[in-house]
Amino acid sequence: MLISGHDGGTGASPLTSLKHAGGPWELGLAETQQTLLLNGLRDRIVVQTDGQLKTGRDVVIAALLGAEEFGFATAPLVVSGCVMMRVCHLDTCPVGIATQNPVLRERYSGQAEYVVNFFQFIAEEVRELLAELGFRTLDEAIGHAELLDTGRAVQHWKAQGLDLGPLLYVPELPEGAVRHQVVEQDHGLAKALDNELIKLAADALNAESAESAQPVRAQVAIRNINRTVGTMLGHEVTRKFGGAGLPDDTIDITFTGSAGQSFGAFAPRGVTLRLEGDANDYVGKGLSGGRVIVRPDRGADHLAEYSTIAGNTLAYGATGGEMYLRGKVGERFCVRNSGATVVSEGVGDHGCEYMTGGRAVVLGPTGRNFAAGMSGGIAYVIDLDPDNVNVDLRDAVGELDDTDKQWLHDAVRRHQEETGSTVAAALLADWDRALARFGKIIPATYQAVLAAKDAAERAGLSESATHEKMMEAATNG
Amino acid sequence: MADPKGFLTTDREVAKTRPVDERVKDWNEVYVPGSLLPIISKQAGRCMDCGIPFCHNGCPLGNLIPEWNDYAYREDWREASERLHATNNFPEFTGRLCPAPCESACVLGINQPAVTIKNVEVTIIDKAWDSGDVTPQPPERLSGKTVAVIGSGPAGLAAAQQLTRAGHTVAVYERADRIGGLLRYGIPEFKMEKRHINRRIEQMRAEGTKFRTETEIGRDIDAAKLRKRYDAVVIAAGATTSRDLPAPGRELNGIHFAMEYLPLANKVQEGDLTTPPITAEGKHVVVIGGGDTGADCVGTAHRQGAASVTQLEIMPKPGEERAPGQPWPTFPMLYKVTSAHEEGGERVYSVSTTHFEGDEDGNVQWLHLIEVEFKDGKLEQKPGTERKIPAQLAPVIGTDRENGLVEQFAPGAGRARQRGARRRLRHQRGRRLRRR
Repeated sequence: MLISGHDGGTGASPLTSLKHAGGPWELGLAETQQTLLLNGLRDRIVVQTDGQLKTGRDVVIAALLGAEEFGFATAPLVVSGCVMMRVCHLDTCPVGIATQNPVLRERYSGQAEYVVNFFQFIAEEVRELLAELGFRTLDEAIGHAELLDTGRAVQHWKAQGLDLGPLLYVPELPEGAVRHQVVEQDHGLAKALDNELIKLAADALNAESAESAQPVRAQVAIRNINRTVGTMLGHEVTRKFGGAGLPDDTIDITFTGSAGQSFGAFAPRGVTLRLEGDANDYVGKGLSGGRVIVRPDRGADHLAEYSTIAGNTLAYGATGGEMYLRGKVGERFCVRNSGATVVSEGVGDHGCEYMTGGRAVVLGPTGRNFAAGMSGGIAYVIDLDPDNVNVDLRDAVGELDDTDKQWLHDAVRRHQEETGSTVAAALLADWDRALARFGKIIPATYQAVLAAKDAAERAGLSESATHEKMMEAATNG
Repeated sequence: MADPKGFLTTDREVAKTRPVDERVKDWNEVYVPGSLLPIISKQAGRCMDCGIPFCHNGCPLGNLIPEWNDYAYREDWREASERLHATNNFPEFTGRLCPAPCESACVLGINQPAVTIKNVEVTIIDKAWDSGDVTPQPPERLSGKTVAVIGSGPAGLAAAQQLTRAGHTVAVYERADRIGGLLRYGIPEFKMEKRHINRRIEQMRAEGTKFRTETEIGRDIDAAKLRKRYDAVVIAAGATTSRDLPAPGRELNGIHFAMEYLPLANKVQEGDLTTPPITAEGKHVVVIGGGDTGADCVGTAHRQGAASVTQLEIMPKPGEERAPGQPWPTFPMLYKVTSAHEEGGERVYSVSTTHFEGDEDGNVQWLHLIEVEFKDGKLEQKPGTERKIPAQLAPVIGTDRENGLVEQFAPGAGRARQRGARRRLRHQRGRRLRRR
């Protein structure tokens, strides 16, 4: 469990969030520790805290309040050369940390040893403070909030009348009770649905080579206690056949029911997971070449396009593959997608957030703040209301060219074929008129990079020269 | 925000200077007039609008540098001037004279040439003057309080302007015959033309600030009297007591403090004198002291037609890169070539003056020096390195020290004198009443 304080924030976060969101980790940590102790659960989980921890003193205070892990980000970054430019999202980091630009990466002057050195100082200070408190190890100190001396702080005139008692309260504990984690977590992997899938896919998995893998077809019932279905199966595929996976659709499994979180997460190429029913959040998280198709149960009599078929944060960080979702989905659709093609029939707020590649097609309504922080990839959205697009990306809304039109037609047709979508069927029936309803969002820099790549390839340049041209385009916008 | 990628696409480019041959023949500023305007917007676009703008800290005024860089980039000169004046009363002075610690602290300067902040600053203010955006800002109402400001250098003037605009009635006392302090008589014309000061004084007069020249506090009016007469007193007198060079032969003719030499040259520019009483014309000049004031003497000597100019510095020659002990964003000691150095002369480092040698008329002719080096943190003379160089004029640059004025204002100082002052004040009032 991570108690993340309000003091922190990435260099990409807006100042308003940085200054006005969240609360101090001290409060959250104290409450967490007390609640866990009172319920006899403290030994079962690891508690971590972060939020501008910078010194050994911070670490010891956090330990006394109940944390056993401590997150550091700003300080080690500064040790590595970060100057807190707050442009992590703009690819213009002048000290070469948060950037892919080779010119800027050249300017990086940090060394791993600096960070090692920094943490040695932190450890040294922690050790000194522990010795002062009479502890031999950090574990011994965890949860001893009663040792925190708040006298000087409370005596300050601004803090007059402040009662920190509730914050420093340690519940009465039986003799020898532990205040930190000692019991290993049971992930219940042995009971995962994937064990069954791996057995079903034996014909494919036991093949000598990807080419000789036998197709596998299966039908499996699913419930929402079955999480990350397909991930262990995908793991076996990748372990056996490497990153390239298997030929498309080699392992094709149809599920019926309601899937738990992260359905199809990280599925590699060759794995196709069809779900007839509905899904939770994180469908296709980290999708790596596999296919995920979600459609309502065949017996359902509702209109799919008006209903929600899957939850939030779909295709989060996907790097490749396809997803077809017959129905509306939740918020942060395609967040950080960098390579997958995803089709849905309506999305909530913050769609295509931070997207860097791949394509998203929306055949229904979109929520507000669409394409926030989107730096790459293309989104095709029907009946797009420009007011719903993030202000920084409004200029990126444009018309479809002939290539787009052809591609979009294929994508919609596939969506119709895979899911039986009536929306897609209606659009295809009057395609010319449908086309006029689509808007296209492509970030300007990404478009420039694609154009540079095209030109370089047509000129027959080498791969490194092509990369150089692309980088140049990225730099100059 | 300014161009997010400007620092990647534009290289640093500074103001162009006029050719040496041309500029040493006159006293005008060394820069080509108008050379900045065509390049400055792109230069301002190199500003990265840092999340933590270290230039804010580098600048002792806390100038809002990224903000006006942005306006300069977008060529919104009126807004730029507004933001510049938000923290800086006289950007036309600082934009010409300040050593630009902001550029030393510029984040881009970590691994690239820093943004030309000083050039942007001076362009904004020159543009503002040209377009009439700098206008008097008299207070809307008066507070009824009076303030005396002692000293009319940049600090005194800035204090006076702010206090006047806040509604107080302010009088600035200056012991010299013109307002400006070191700005007026210490800075040579070729670094800042004095019209810039005159223009500001006009603005300040229009705002209601009063100026009293040729009045030395502590001599013409004593401290107690001043405190009586005004609700508050600002001491901005600077430090004009020079540190002397206690070397044998110091009393010879031709050895002067820089603050004797430079003001006379400036008085020629003001039209008070036709020829400077101390001149470098035809003489071998040795400037003792390697800093900025030394450079001012070097440039002045060039323009007066010196036979040769040599500048001495006791410390070793600084490096061209930051020393390990002076990392970014500190203000580093670096080897600088000022415009005066471009114009000629020789710079000698790690030397100390041992004595002066004169002719039978008591005029200095030679300066004897010896090389020095650091040993165990102390400067020591290197035996056997003595030599002499011709010196017929030697301005001595002493690090300025405090003057005695502050002591007069010290708590409890001269209680008795205060009583006397009160009496004198009553007397004076009576006189004034009688005059009415």
